[in-house]
Order: sequence, then C-alpha cells, then structure tokens
Amino acid sequence: MRSFGSTLAVDNVSFQVYRGELFAFLGPNGAGKTTTINLLTGLLHPDRGEIRYRGERFNPDLLAVKQLIGVVPQHNNLDKELSVAENLRIHGILFGLRGRQLEERIRFCLEFADLLEKSATAAGKLSGGMKRKLVIARALLHQPKILFLDEPTVGLDPHSRRRMWAFLRRINVEQQCTVFLTTHYIEEAESLAQRVMIMDNAKIIAAGSPDELKSCGGDYVLDIYRGTDLDSEFFADRDAALRRLKQLDTVVRIRETTLEDVFLQLTGKRIAGGKGDV
Amino acid sequence: MFNGVRGIYLRETLILRKKLVKTVLASAVSPALFLIAFGYGVGQGAQVNGHDYLLFLLPGLLTMSSMNQSYGIATEINISRFYFKVFEEYLLAPLKRWEIVVAEMFYGVTKGLIPVVIIGIYTLLCGVQLTFGVRFLVALLLHLAIFSLLGLITALLVRNHSDQALMNSFLITPMMFLSGTFFPVEKMPVVIRAVAALSPLTYSTRLIRSTLIGDMAVNNALFPLLAVMVVVLFIVAYRVVNRVQI
Ligand SMILES: Nc1ncnc2c1ncn2[C@@H]1O[C@H](COP(=O)(O)OP(=O)(O)OP(=O)(O)O)[C@@H](O)[C@H]1O
Ligand SMILES: [Mg+2]
Repeated sequence: MRSFGSTLAVDNVSFQVYRGELFAFLGPNGAGKTTTINLLTGLLHPDRGEIRYRGERFNPDLLAVKQLIGVVPQHNNLDKELSVAENLRIHGILFGLRGRQLEERIRFCLEFADLLEKSATAAGKLSGGMKRKLVIARALLHQPKILFLDEPTVGLDPHSRRRMWAFLRRINVEQQCTVFLTTHYIEEAESLAQRVMIMDNAKIIAAGSPDELKSCGGDYVLDIYRGTDLDSEFFADRDAALRRLKQLDTVVRIRETTLEDVFLQLTGKRIAGGKGDV
Repeated sequence: MFNGVRGIYLRETLILRKKLVKTVLASAVSPALFLIAFGYGVGQGAQVNGHDYLLFLLPGLLTMSSMNQSYGIATEINISRFYFKVFEEYLLAPLKRWEIVVAEMFYGVTKGLIPVVIIGIYTLLCGVQLTFGVRFLVALLLHLAIFSLLGLITALLVRNHSDQALMNSFLITPMMFLSGTFFPVEKMPVVIRAVAALSPLTYSTRLIRSTLIGDMAVNNALFPLLAVMVVVLFIVAYRVVNRVQI
C-alpha cells in the first residue's frame, strides 16, 4: 500500500506471479500500475505491506535481489549522447560484469534486440521502437530472473507492436525469464499473457487467465444499437443470446466476449458511479 | 568491487568527453572577461597587500571558476534525475549508496580541473608568476571535493530544475563575489566579512592563493579545516543519497 499525500495510489493490492509466467497488468491512466512496479522494484517504499519471492520475504533494497530483477521503465531513460553500446556497457559495469563476459553479453543483447548495426549510434538518434528495444536489451544484460516492463509498447505502431510481442515472448521462453508487464492495450494483454490482472483506482478489480476473465461475464455479447447509444448485454451461451435477439427490433450484433468487454464493464461501472457522486 | 563507482564515473566522464569543447569554451570565457574587466580595467596598476592586483586576482579566478564547474554537476544530476530519469538506473543497480557519492565527487573533481588548466594558460599569457606545487594540488583537490559534494547534496534535495536555478542565484553567485576572489575580505565592512566567514569558498580561496603566490605564507591550519568540511559534506551527502527514492 502506498499513498502520495492524500492520493492513495496503490490500495491493499495483493497478487501472485508464478515463475516463468508472462503476466500482464492492465489498467487505465492513473490506475497505479507504475506505482506498483516501483514498489516491487524498490524505487519506492511501501507505507504498508510486503513482497514475497519463493516464500521468502523479498527486499528489493538488497544487492543480491537487485541482481535478479530487470526493469524497463515507462519513460526511456537512456543516455541520449552515448552510443547504444556505451549505454549497455555502463549498465553491465553497474551490475558487476567485466572484461570478455561483459563484451559477450553486450553483443548477445544487441543481436537479440536486432540492434547490432546500430551499436555505435547515439541512443538519442534511434527511432522510438529501437529506443524501446534498447531499454529492454539493457534490462536483460545482467540476465535477470524477473523482468518488469512498464508499458513496453507505448508509442509503437501496430507492426512494431506485434514485433515487440514476439520479442517479449522470446524473452519469456528463450531467456526463461518471468515477465511482468503493464499495458493499456487489451489485445496486448489478451494475446501475450497467460494471466491478466486488471487494476483501476488503486485497486485490483479482476485477475485470472484471459479465458477465465471473459467467461465471468458471459461468453457471448449482444451489441444493441439504440440511436447513437450502444448497449451490450452478456449471455452465458449462444442460444441464450439468440433468444434475446428475437425479442429485439433494433440493429443488433452478436459476437464472442472479448477482454475489452470485461475491462469496460469492470472499469466503466466505476466511472458511471463517479459521475453520480458529483 | 566498486562497480557502482566505476560505472557511474564512466558514464559521467563519457558524457563529459562528448561535451568537452562546449565545457572548455564555457569555462574559458567568463574568467577571461573578469580578467579584462577587473585585472586590466579597474585594477590596472593597483596593489593588494603588497602584490600586483593581477597576481591577487588570478588565483581567485581559478578557485571561482573551478568551483563553478564542480558545483555545476548539480544541474546535470538534477536534470538526469527528474527529466531523463537516468538516476533510476543507479537506484536499481546492485551498488551501495555511498558509491554514488564517491563517483559523483570524483566526477565533480575531474570537471573542476578543466578551468584550472585554462587559468594556468591565462597565467602564462599574462606573464604572471604562480607556483603550482604539491601543496597547491592538495588544497585544490579538497576545494573541488567540497563543491562537488555540495552540488550533489543540493541536486538531491531540490525537487526540480527551477529550484536548482534559484539555489545558484541565492547561494553560488553571492559566494563567487564575496569570498575574497576579487578583493581581500579583510578590508570589507563587518556584514560582508560575516557573510564571507560562512562561505567555504573564502577558506579554500585563501589557502589556494597562499599556495600559488611564492612569497606568501601558507596558512597550514586551513588544510585540516577543508578536510573536515569534505568529511562532513560526505556524510551529509551519504545520508541524503541513502534516503532518496525516485
Ligand atoms: N510522485 C507522485 N506524487 C504524487 N502522486 C503520484 C506520484 N506518482 C503517482 N502519483 C499518483 O498515483 C496514482 C497512480 O499513478 P501511476 O503512475 O501509478 O498510474 P499508472 O497506472 O502507471 O498510470 P499511466 O497508465 O498513466 O502510466 C495517480 O493518481 C497519480 O496521480
Ligand atoms: Mg504508468
């Protein structure tokens, strides 16, 4: 739990991430995703609460623990004047790599991130997608066991985003790295993650695999168009949805539930409630 | 061992190297202007404590501009912390927090040496005789360490860039002028002398000047005083760094 002045940014949040998993953390702006990551990586200290790793108390201030985690912040914090390789080298030295081992890791990470030809380019001169990949490559340099990524695909076009997904899957599988990522994009969480957690207003409002989350509201949706308004109704199966369809005489569309429906349903209620309070 | 010190120092000096021409020019211009305005303009033919004014002024310019460069790491640390968020990299790395203090102090000292070389060249050009010996070197290193640590401390205490600029105009600029760099403090009214007594630059300037001017008695008691300041500031800096969250 953590607050900033009177703003409660993370409130009684409790969840588990399993080893080797790709875990997505979904939530609208200001939900508290970044604050949660900062608490998990030790950049902020919680007002209350604790983190456990394999059953042991996990203190991100311990040097051995820092060695285990890689962090990709929301903001690309590269040294823009320095070359791609220099950015990696400094990170490597800070994490205790040296000599041949350091140069090999730099080369490996550059290759892995497809940045080998750019190794002498100033980081500030890379495209947005390359910068993002460089930040990720840097976080992987010291071979962390857990990688935290705060909005890894922010600012990427649809093609780059899909390439980034493939890259993240490779990290998860080839590097055997537990991946914890935050995102605003529902299809990103749905297509990447084994488990998803939805956070809103500093609280966790749902958690589970994408399929579990989708079926909790109903597997089928009727989108009912009433003038400019769109109402969605949820049904456990297709037959139930079709029965309801027969009673209606407006424009209707029937489809399977997406994670977006779940997300909108869960976070939308709150927004509607908020309006009522004002 | 010392991965933190090596990594951070390497980062800072690599960036310094990329900006070297700019830094050299910046620290060459203002002492040159002061030299012309005060040394040759106002102070032409003047004597201070039996020395030519130029002989008095050059060591003052040396301490002043090297202080500016060493303390100037404050702005850089502030920007890289709040704007570029590079400081997070240090906080996430498996290093001891004192390593950040040592690395930034070394960096500030390194940066402070640039204007020393420049003033050395000006001294030759002006045909003034200064003696650069071991005692000068020790005094200089203490002086640079003091202002690097002060820079680090303010950078970490101040929450944003405009407050940092405010610190410069309320702290550093008055110190530059009132610490015996341009005129001897002893001849000033008591108020100014009181202000000067609070400024660390007063002591380092007095010591460095006495080590540079051949026939001046070196005030050896100032060595331990500056060393104590370094130790105290180091402890303060360490405590501040230790408390820092993003
Ligand atoms: N340093 C801070 N000082 C004050 N309030 C803060 C600070 N950092 C975050 N907050 C507040 O905490 C809440 C959660 O912010 P956080 O950055 O964790 O959200 P987020 O889910 O990462 O949002 P986004 O998707 O926009 O990145 C917000 O209300 C924010 O205003
Ligand atoms: Mg965020």
